[in-house]
Amino acid sequence: MEELYSVFAQEAREQLAAMEEGLLKMEQGDQDPDTLNAIFRAAHTIKGASGVVEIHHIEKFTHILENLLDRLRNGEIAVSSEIITALLKGCDHIGAMLDRVDQGLMDEDPALAAAGEATAELLRSFAGGGKEKMMPEASVATVERAGGEAAISDCWHISIRFGRDVLKNGMEPLAFLRYLLNLGEIVHLTTLCDAMPPAEEMDPECCYLGFEITLRSHATKEQIENVFAFCRDECDLYILPPNSKVQDFIELIERLPEEPMRLGEILVKTGAITQEELEQGLRRQRAAAKIAAATEQAPPPLGEILVEKKMVQPELVEAAAAKQKQVAEKKSAEARLIRVQADKLDHLIDLVGELVIAGASANLLAQKSGQTNLVEATSVLSRLVENIRDSALQLRMVQIGETFNRFNRVVRDVSKELGKDIELVITGAETELDKSVVEKIGDPLMHLVRNAMDHGIEPAEVRLARGKPAKGRVELNAYHDSGSIVIEVVDDGGGLNVEKIQAKAIERGLIQPGLTLTEQEIVNLIFEAGFSTADKVSNLSGRGVGMDVVKRNIQALRGTVEVKTKAGVGSRFIIRLPLTLAIIDGFLTSVGNASYVIPLDAVVECLELKEQDTRGHMLNLRGEVLPFIRLREFFDIEGKRPQRENVVVVSAGGQKAGIVVDQLLGEFQTVIKPLGSLFKHLRGIGGSTILGSGEVALILDVAALTQLASQAEARQSLPAGHAPPALEAR
Amino acid sequence: MTEFATQTTTDGALHLILDGPMTIYNASEIKAQLLNALKSASILELDLSHVGEMDTAGFQLLVLAKQESLREGKTLRIVAHSPAVRDVIDFYNMDAFFGDPMIIPAEH
Amino acid sequence: MLVDDSATILLSISNILTKAGYAVEKASNANEGLAKFKSGIKVDLLITDLNMPGMNGIDFIKEVRKLPQYKFMPILFLTTESQQEKRAEAKAAGASGWLVKPATADELLNTIKLVLR
Repeated sequence: MEELYSVFAQEAREQLAAMEEGLLKMEQGDQDPDTLNAIFRAAHTIKGASGVVEIHHIEKFTHILENLLDRLRNGEIAVSSEIITALLKGCDHIGAMLDRVDQGLMDEDPALAAAGEATAELLRSFAGGGKEKMMPEASVATVERAGGEAAISDCWHISIRFGRDVLKNGMEPLAFLRYLLNLGEIVHLTTLCDAMPPAEEMDPECCYLGFEITLRSHATKEQIENVFAFCRDECDLYILPPNSKVQDFIELIERLPEEPMRLGEILVKTGAITQEELEQGLRRQRAAAKIAAATEQAPPPLGEILVEKKMVQPELVEAAAAKQKQVAEKKSAEARLIRVQADKLDHLIDLVGELVIAGASANLLAQKSGQTNLVEATSVLSRLVENIRDSALQLRMVQIGETFNRFNRVVRDVSKELGKDIELVITGAETELDKSVVEKIGDPLMHLVRNAMDHGIEPAEVRLARGKPAKGRVELNAYHDSGSIVIEVVDDGGGLNVEKIQAKAIERGLIQPGLTLTEQEIVNLIFEAGFSTADKVSNLSGRGVGMDVVKRNIQALRGTVEVKTKAGVGSRFIIRLPLTLAIIDGFLTSVGNASYVIPLDAVVECLELKEQDTRGHMLNLRGEVLPFIRLREFFDIEGKRPQRENVVVVSAGGQKAGIVVDQLLGEFQTVIKPLGSLFKHLRGIGGSTILGSGEVALILDVAALTQLASQAEARQSLPAGHAPPALEAR
Repeated sequence: MTEFATQTTTDGALHLILDGPMTIYNASEIKAQLLNALKSASILELDLSHVGEMDTAGFQLLVLAKQESLREGKTLRIVAHSPAVRDVIDFYNMDAFFGDPMIIPAEH
Repeated sequence: MLVDDSATILLSISNILTKAGYAVEKASNANEGLAKFKSGIKVDLLITDLNMPGMNGIDFIKEVRKLPQYKFMPILFLTTESQQEKRAEAKAAGASGWLVKPATADELLNTIKLVLR
């Protein structure tokens, strides 16, 4: 059952996201009925699913929401911004209830219930006076037993004449009738074939049968009726309760198509009434009919015990059906999805990882053996493994759009809260990245977006004074850039105030007064622990969670964050993330006995280091000045420099740098094993991997190294032999 | 689907063996076969011992054939019932209508 | 055969049916279901949702009814208390009956007994 709940929670969240998306569209003036239909459908699905998993408080609440949506859909009430706000509140409440389901709690939280009741009340008030639309219920005829002469039977009597089309609709009278055995004992059953036409007119796929059934049962009338529920509309069905009045039987006989005397005999035979009762009754009925005819009155009304036939439901309007189809077609693309449990996928990726390592090992051995056939075979194999790896990783890739779309709501709510008019522009929603990255990037993004709105975007009057449109603009962009995913949070606000940051940093003791820093370095200080420049602490920021946390979260994903800002024009936070966390194409190098892997995406070129081209830690690359880092120095590796050193030119974040190593060993598929927490603060190292030979190699964090190299460049000099401590934290 | 085999018995009756289901899926075919057989003889014997499945549609055709035979003054006898046929006729309480002895065949 | 776009409903109904000893073929949309029917598999009963993305349940039922092998197969559709008007439409399309969701295991199994040949 565990699985059922998690499937439910996930599905409900997806539907909830769809509802929010639609509601926000409507708020922005989308009047397409399809949008409202889609919202209704989503609410309806949540309601249905919560009912199935028996979480009734969610079902109940969603029903209220659905009710309001239904009335909007039917045009009974007009869409207003207040209604949409109320509906969004309703979505939030459902979300909160789902949170509880995620925690494995199926009951209702009393505190949450109270909050929910307020929202429910609000929703009901829009739906109209707290009245819920009552759906017509099947009328259950009351059974009248008092008075009259009771017939002798203590059994139910059922008369049914099946409709012609029951067989064509896949129904089987035998199944219905046999089902009666579940309710009691069939004392007597008479099959009536009187309706059967002559052979040439008889359609073998039509049903011409009728039955008179005596059923001894404690079932209620409703239960018996329900047996025939599916064919009620097409059948003549009469049910007489035990101890019905003789008159009722007589009336029944009059109603049925067969000859009264023939039916009467059947009833007598079944013991429903006696012969005498029958004759008396029939006589009385005929007399009554004669009087009625004489006085031109309507014949005596049917006893109220006769089951009323339901009206045939009117056919749906053609146009409505066509509309429905359009909505359906729009959604058909989504339907080609399979849901897979994330851990199954993780397990597959794990196995593929092992396969990659084993493949590399086989490759190595094959090369050493020098057997051409074997080398060929293993190279085919490794190509296939590569393909499998790519496909497997692709399985984990999801579009970032879903994460981005959440921010529509955030921007809407926050801008209302702040009293600022801000629009959100999303580009690159279709960019794909690893699911585990997507899951973890939400919080940092949230912080950045809120910051941009709170601190970045100026109040309208300031904006107008600066000659900018009153409406602020926040952008979320995503795109691929040389093997990384770049996510940007951009605002067209006031930009970061460099002087203020510097003053604050000095005040906080983060930097020494009088130290000359580049503008970029000062700006980067906002990512240092314990930094906050907000003049006033608002509801949104200044909660103590600063940019340092954002940076740490992104680093945990092997990503980087930087900021570009221009006073009066705005800020751009650029987050760079690896495509995947599991496997990369690496370039294997060595320094002394140690092996290092450089992510291949980052490698621009490799060349031999020529002493005459270098000056300090600068390299003349065909006239271009390139900072470089000598790994031997950086990691303090013992041993002498070899005669020939090589430079791997790498690029990250638009900056190039050289990494000097002893030997170039070639391309190598690398399964990334995370470093233990002990090595979390190791600079320049992104992870480790196991080589085919079983040795461990460290994977270089190119972005960090490039940054280090260029910082050194910016300061013009880095003392030779400088070896930054590798383990900062310890 | 259902196979039909006929032979004429010594007393001049037409003996029709139905082998296969008698359901709505082949009701049209069975109707035609039954009526044809009834047209070509004054006494029709039905061997239903190989009818593995019978539903209401199949049952109705037996009723139809019986009614036609009565209308035309002919004789229709069901000389062998499979358990499936027997069940349906029993449940619908129509043994008397057909008036055939229900011979329970020995276990096959 | 069970066709519903809601994974929750697919799972819960098939759990009940499997436990009761029925073999359940699942599909998450009408096209998938139709493809399975067209492959000629033996199906004794179809239970389908009406409101599905892609081909809707009504059209799905009509399409299934066009296939000779399933012309008279019992078809139940999933509905809610509030979809009365849908019932007539689905019946007109050839459905045999309906299941009001959420249904308890007993309701589900009893309804199936009612229509299964």
